[in-house]
Amino acid sequence: MKMMQKRTQVGVVFCLFAAGMAALVNPAMAAPADKYLHVNVDDATEGTKVNVNVPLEMAERILPAINNRDLHDGKISIRNKDVGDVDFRAVLDAVRTAPDNEFVTVKDKDSDVRVAKANGNIIVHVIDKKNKEQKVDVTVPLKIVDALFSTANKDELDLAAAIRALSDAGDILLVTVQGSSEKVRVWVDSRNTQD
Amino acid sequence: MILLGKIVLGMAGAGLAGAGVLCSEGVVHVKVIEKEPGGVHINVIAPAMLAPIAVRLAPRRDLAKACEQLQANLPVVRAALEGLRDSEDVVLVEVEEPGEHVEVSKTAGSIVVDVDDADATVHVTAPIRAISSTVEELAAATSNPM
Repeated sequence: MKMMQKRTQVGVVFCLFAAGMAALVNPAMAAPADKYLHVNVDDATEGTKVNVNVPLEMAERILPAINNRDLHDGKISIRNKDVGDVDFRAVLDAVRTAPDNEFVTVKDKDSDVRVAKANGNIIVHVIDKKNKEQKVDVTVPLKIVDALFSTANKDELDLAAAIRALSDAGDILLVTVQGSSEKVRVWVDSRNTQD
Repeated sequence: MILLGKIVLGMAGAGLAGAGVLCSEGVVHVKVIEKEPGGVHINVIAPAMLAPIAVRLAPRRDLAKACEQLQANLPVVRAALEGLRDSEDVVLVEVEEPGEHVEVSKTAGSIVVDVDDADATVHVTAPIRAISSTVEELAAATSNPM
């Protein structure tokens, strides 16, 4: 009888030990959570709401498969006429090495524009005075800008690399547009819903 | 009497196993309800496994246009289906307008499309595995025209 009790105790202890080890090991082995790109458009005047949730892993797979005129192998060609002779890599290098600062401030009767670098992000803030005080805020981590310009070809942007960089970055609010009646938000997080 | 029981049991088992195999890839569900008086009511529930089989058996000339359109976008379709298959359940797109609601989601291994507007209510469920198999059959039909 005593032998039986001892075996039961050993069994219970073993089970508890196994459960404890599983609890310790599982979080470490768990795959990183999937990231989602969310777009939310809310137009109060029209009564329209649009929610889009795209798994970034899916976007990473689809982008290289698209091959049309400007988009191929996950990269998009920049046409010379669009950018003129601006050397974006040189500009990016200059911004990366510069301390946090406000780079551009434009104020006129139609709009206020501010471009700044803060905490590893490039921040663009636009107020469109003509369009009922529409405000646009864009925050792009420098890591993502780096990824965009990571191709060898200087006339291309690597969108697939930027998506990968977004996946590795933390939760971030990328774009907000606030109009008189409509709101647009674009952000990345680990939740598969917008609730 | 016992022999008859065994035969009936065997037939029932075979029927169940057949139904199980047929539904192993899930079911395609299409439901359309037109809201106008006397409007069409369609409710089709079919084993998803039948879709690739139907493509295989269909005359090639009737599939020619679908094959041609698919061929141009095959890599994108494949990548999208793979990505969807591996992703968690998610509402991909939801549009809400006065009198209209559209939702496209991935739910339990299926693509689910729900549309509800002034004219009709439409619900479509299609398992991703079955869509992949059907796409591959169409791709094969393009590369091996008979």
